[in-house]
Amino acid sequence: MHKALLAAACLALSSLPALAQELVLGAVVPLSGASATLGDDQRRGIELAVDKINEKGGLLGGKKLRVIVEDSGGRAPSALDAAKKLVTVDNVPVVIGEYSSGITIPVGQYLVQEGRVHLNIGSSSGKIRGLGDGSFSLIGLDNVSSGFAAQDVVDNKWKKAAVIVPNNAYGQGVAEQFQKAFAALGGEVVTTVMYTEGQTTYRRELQQMERSEPDVYVYSAYGKEAATINRESFELGINATPWYAIYLSMCTSDADPKFIQGQYGLDLNYIGPDGAAYEAAYKAKYKEPFKTSFNGYGYDAVMMAAAAIEKAGSAEPKAISAALKEIGNGYKGATGDITFDADRQRSKQPYLKLKIEDGVQQR
Amino acid sequence: MVQFVVDVLIRAVDLALIAIGLSSVYSLIRFPNVALVQYATTGALLALCLQMAGLPLVVAAIAACALVGIIAVVLNVIVFERLLRAGSAIAMIGSLALSMMFSAIFLVTAGPRPKRFELEINPPLRFLGARLTEHQLMSVGISALAIIVFALILFRTDLGRCMRATATNSVLASATGIDTRKVTNTVVFLSGVMAALGGIGLSVKGEMSAQLGLDMLLPVFAAAILGGLGNALGAAVGAVVIAAAETMVTNVNFGPLFGASVLFIPAAYATAASFLLLVVVLLIKPYGLFVSEVKRV
Amino acid sequence: MFEFLIHVSIMACLYGLLSLSLNLQVGFAGLVNFGQVILFGCGTYGAAIAFSHQLGPVAGIALGIVFAVVVAAAFARLGRNLGADYWGIATLAVAEVLRILANNEAWLTGGAQGVSGIPLLFGDKPRPMGPLMTLGLCVALLIAAWWLCQRLTTSRYGLALKLMREEPQLAASLGYDLAVLKTQTLMVAAVLAAASGFVFAHYITFVGPDQLVSSETFLIWAMVIIGGSGNHLGAIVGAILMQFLFAFVPFVKDALGLPSEYVAAMRLTLVGGGLLVFLMWRTQGLIPERIGGKQNG
Repeated sequence: MHKALLAAACLALSSLPALAQELVLGAVVPLSGASATLGDDQRRGIELAVDKINEKGGLLGGKKLRVIVEDSGGRAPSALDAAKKLVTVDNVPVVIGEYSSGITIPVGQYLVQEGRVHLNIGSSSGKIRGLGDGSFSLIGLDNVSSGFAAQDVVDNKWKKAAVIVPNNAYGQGVAEQFQKAFAALGGEVVTTVMYTEGQTTYRRELQQMERSEPDVYVYSAYGKEAATINRESFELGINATPWYAIYLSMCTSDADPKFIQGQYGLDLNYIGPDGAAYEAAYKAKYKEPFKTSFNGYGYDAVMMAAAAIEKAGSAEPKAISAALKEIGNGYKGATGDITFDADRQRSKQPYLKLKIEDGVQQR
Repeated sequence: MVQFVVDVLIRAVDLALIAIGLSSVYSLIRFPNVALVQYATTGALLALCLQMAGLPLVVAAIAACALVGIIAVVLNVIVFERLLRAGSAIAMIGSLALSMMFSAIFLVTAGPRPKRFELEINPPLRFLGARLTEHQLMSVGISALAIIVFALILFRTDLGRCMRATATNSVLASATGIDTRKVTNTVVFLSGVMAALGGIGLSVKGEMSAQLGLDMLLPVFAAAILGGLGNALGAAVGAVVIAAAETMVTNVNFGPLFGASVLFIPAAYATAASFLLLVVVLLIKPYGLFVSEVKRV
Repeated sequence: MFEFLIHVSIMACLYGLLSLSLNLQVGFAGLVNFGQVILFGCGTYGAAIAFSHQLGPVAGIALGIVFAVVVAAAFARLGRNLGADYWGIATLAVAEVLRILANNEAWLTGGAQGVSGIPLLFGDKPRPMGPLMTLGLCVALLIAAWWLCQRLTTSRYGLALKLMREEPQLAASLGYDLAVLKTQTLMVAAVLAAASGFVFAHYITFVGPDQLVSSETFLIWAMVIIGGSGNHLGAIVGAILMQFLFAFVPFVKDALGLPSEYVAAMRLTLVGGGLLVFLMWRTQGLIPERIGGKQNG
């Protein structure tokens, strides 16, 4: 079996040099491992953008766009293998990815060292800010979404919040930033629970939160954990207290409507000029509503990179980076207006305030 | 307090069936089979497939358990009998490898999204202040029944007598005319059934995913080892101990002790609690709580 | 392509060190360690903690070695009266507890967000030279480790280890203190793993708890078994082979036009399937252990 694979690998190597009529970008996302659901959704956004650009005749006078999507497996060594393959073998000027901060950071550092353009579409750790010139974030970092959530919770006159988030880089960032912003606005986080992913039940964590009698439960979760938490909050009857979701559609994507009735939350804004068309294209191609909140960033990343390449008139990383800085000032993306700050981060993001009342309603 | 007991019980039955399967196989063939937790996932996925094919849940569950039992026997004959000739450590690593193959198969066939049985979900029942759903009640009931049936087989039937004889001294057992290979495969079949039932029980209460089995691996092993590998009913007690430890960490309010109103050990350490407990018990009782048999070298 | 090969070679050398370290434990002393990744983690966190406290890389490697020796001593203490399979699970539990600690104690370890920005070892050198020098260092480390292991195991000490693995009672009756033998082996192995972790941290430039999940341990196990446990060269060959296969799986996907999720399934199949095939049909691995071996007295 090994010989056959090696032979196939050699075959792959010999057939590699891309066609001259093609413009190739790269992406590293988790298509397996714990974050596979999210990574797969990121890939969908990327695919939709590629389809759209090629329908319109490609880039730089008719070159077809291709994005090589590599699997990171949710582990840093594999993600680096993939990033290094994209840079040194496929020689792509732009690499999009990853999802987990713990992987995005080393991948981004490597790309910056290599002088390539890095587009962060999924990680919100504050540490992304320090990656250096050439690394852009299309997603608002923790402080942006958590700050918005804290303001929204305060506006609803809830004073005592219980927070439950996954115990990983994403969750720890959200908890920390929410606590900071909420305290600054005069609220009090009465308890914070970091749940371990991959448990079969979170009943006990939820009951622990219930003891501190909060006015509102603030949570962010995805995948199987989100489904479990929503079901168990219903089963324990603690959904009588308001629930507030950071990224509502992601938190409720696998939940029965009965469990999530009455939840509040914030979500990405898809009502920009490009947003509605994008949502329609997604539904048409994948026959379901948005699976997570992360696909739109993948779409915007490819669209922005393409726009930058057109503007620069070349696919040189330096030129693309310079063009991105110019474009990134009120760019109309599917996830709303995109404006980069001095550190090339998206420091403002227009979120929607939502409530679930027989389906998702805007507040 | 009642809620505490209910929570411990629910968690314990999650662990108990698979742990009992693990322990009973260990008593005969002396290696902890890591792939057993994947049999649980297989059982749940098969039951789901059969339910989607139109069978009623009960029939689907029984069929899935039987199928998994057969799979367990087939794998035992093809893979483990061969590996065991090279030693129990080799067999254990082999079972690990097999469990990775299971993961690969789940990834390609079932995909990463969580799934549910088609069941009506109702608000919880109140019972002495504790909250409990019908499905939880059902799952606890079925598991308890399965454990009782298993204990009856072990202590009241000829098969059970043969099993225990083989476990104590397999050479002597075969000398007295017991077909030890047949006995072993029967137990392997039963362990597959128990694991599958455990997996189905877990999924009936909530979500199932391809990761289900691997997520259960360490707690189940902790339960089985605590009870003393090879002691099937010890494993059930081990499951209760592990469940109690986890629940204590997450749900005992240490606030009054320190003058605060609410103070908990961070929930992030709930899983660590059961592993620490395991390590501490092994330091004191190297073969678990309930092993009385001759000490192995 | 050239730089990609350098990268894969560096990773192969680092895994080679880990594999040598595990092989010393499994192949020679018969210690079934399922917590290997945490010894590696001692090295990565040594580097990370030294970096985040501005202590410099020398303090980093020293810290890493101290951590690793302490963990090894704890493993050895656990191993004193546990059976091999119990000990395996206990090491797995200890490794998980330590990983959970690293994930939660943000004041020390940076928590789940880890520590980033750890400097490259030869970051100031111009482009092709930096990675080449890192590769040179890794190759030198690997050869030194190999030489050390070779010296160790061809001496009387190595024979004592093998005797302990095969006939522990005989070894004890000949006056060998098994607990001391185990402790020493574990400590040497731990230092090798920590060295690998230290270089890894300074190469990847990021340290986080996700790097320490137990599946990484199983990957190293696959390298040892496939290469041939009980043979140092085998362990290195196994590591290099697995690392290159892993790195080139995406090319196979490109060539055959497979969807990306098959890459994950393929990786699992490579590790699990490879392990199983070797365990069943070639237990001695690619390069078998030399029985008897050179004896210098």
